[in-house]
Amino acid sequence: MSTPALDATLAPAAAGTPDAPAVRTARTRTAAGLRAWAVRLGSLAIVVALWQWLTTVDARVGLRFDRLPSPAEVAAEFGRQLGTRIYYLDLAQSMIRILTGFALAAVAGIALGVLVARSRWIGDVLLPSVEVVRPIPAIALVPIAILVFPTDEQGIVFITFAAAFFPIMVSTRHAVRALPTLWEDAVRTMGGGRAHVLWNVVLPGTLPGVFGGLSVGMGVAWICVISAEMISGEFGVGYRTWHAYTVVDYPAVLVGMASIGVLGWVTSASVELLGRRLTRWLPRGEGTAR
Amino acid sequence: MSAPAMETARADAGLAIRLEGVSLGYGRHAVLDGLHLDIAPGEVLVIVGPSGSGKSTVLRAIAGLLAPRAGRVLAQGVPVTGPSPGRAMVFQDDALLPWRTVRRNVELPLRIRGVPRRERRAAAESWIARVGLAGCEDRLPRELSGGMRQRVQLARSLAGAPRAVLMDEPFGALDAQTRGEMQRLLLDVLRDTLATVVFVTHDVDEALLLADRVVVLGHRGGHSGGHGGIATILRVPEPRTPDVDRAELRAHIIEEL
Repeated sequence: MSTPALDATLAPAAAGTPDAPAVRTARTRTAAGLRAWAVRLGSLAIVVALWQWLTTVDARVGLRFDRLPSPAEVAAEFGRQLGTRIYYLDLAQSMIRILTGFALAAVAGIALGVLVARSRWIGDVLLPSVEVVRPIPAIALVPIAILVFPTDEQGIVFITFAAAFFPIMVSTRHAVRALPTLWEDAVRTMGGGRAHVLWNVVLPGTLPGVFGGLSVGMGVAWICVISAEMISGEFGVGYRTWHAYTVVDYPAVLVGMASIGVLGWVTSASVELLGRRLTRWLPRGEGTAR
Repeated sequence: MSAPAMETARADAGLAIRLEGVSLGYGRHAVLDGLHLDIAPGEVLVIVGPSGSGKSTVLRAIAGLLAPRAGRVLAQGVPVTGPSPGRAMVFQDDALLPWRTVRRNVELPLRIRGVPRRERRAAAESWIARVGLAGCEDRLPRELSGGMRQRVQLARSLAGAPRAVLMDEPFGALDAQTRGEMQRLLLDVLRDTLATVVFVTHDVDEALLLADRVVVLGHRGGHSGGHGGIATILRVPEPRTPDVDRAELRAHIIEEL
């Protein structure tokens, strides 16, 4: 029986046509995919097992694992919370905040990134203010948000927006500037005007860079939505986690942290997956794509 | 006015493209000064010259991608103020939009012009077949070899039924064998169209194979001869097949270069 690794190296020569890049067969792809998942889950299991062991033996190795709840305690608390309505309300509230803020940031960031890169005049008008605000951590905007927005809810969405906006805008701007002029020339010689160039060249051509910004933006947005919830929320995973801390309920704190981790991972993976689907044309080999 | 253009029988039908005292440059860098050139409809004019002689720059000016600093470019007697689908361009490489399949690349000029979907699809498919790529319609550019990509560019440029096709060293990046195939394909395809062709190359043999006339651009500042950088203009006798001996013309061009 041949090993999956051997299959993977032999398959391209057999499957590829002379002109097309080699394509791995479905069977070896499935095998390689299963192996990759086994490795990923295995690594996660090892971390949890190590944590369980350290807390069970009350290890004090510089760090006080004797004070930390064990994975079993956290799992028990998690099971309890799954049976409550409030847990899902918190999840939904955080998701609504992040998706609203992120969607607004994506639209505004891409639009502004394209505008300032394509028009020197708009760049001159807008970039100075943007560059001054950009270094301010979004979370430092909380006092302002509380001041100017009528409700806490809007303030939190604004913080999320501010966090995600800059990475998206900056990545878009760089991607537009780095676009080869050849594609634009080609479309113009077909009689294409500004709108055609924008739609057929700029937007699709910058997608790889834009998605880099969206991925970073989603990560920063989570950091900021959770922090903002901790400061001024009434619902949400961040609020609930902070609340658990104030009543010294450490298993609940860890449930909150794990929930944030999972939500963050799901949203980042969604952005990543969408990005890969939309940029299939990029010249990357199937085997080298992560 | 350049004498060789007057000799062209087809010149009677009016000029396809005319350059009147055109000066070109980028920034502070002047490339060509006071260039005069007349191109007859249906003619295949090849511009040869060393690197930096401004041959691609002339093409960009004819395409309307670069505005002359002085003089003017006329297409069908009308001053060129910008790019137009009537003057399609084939670039050296990688000018296909990599996110569009072969079919959608070839369709693009028709789509921009607003041709209905069914009609443009049929036109695209017929051009794809004409350049020998039937069956590759749904492939992405990255899945094609360099020669195949240039075939797609050729199909894309012709799909819009332009009056003129401007080709900027389109086979320059190809290996010798593929280049030969592409030259034959081009000659073959051009026979079906009435398009005027302006073709830029640094390869003298390619020029002699494809051209009705060859324009030789000299080094900048050299051999102006009243035509603004043009060292010489030569007529290439028919038939245009690779085996015809053109040693004399070749020697002449190389001497000018």
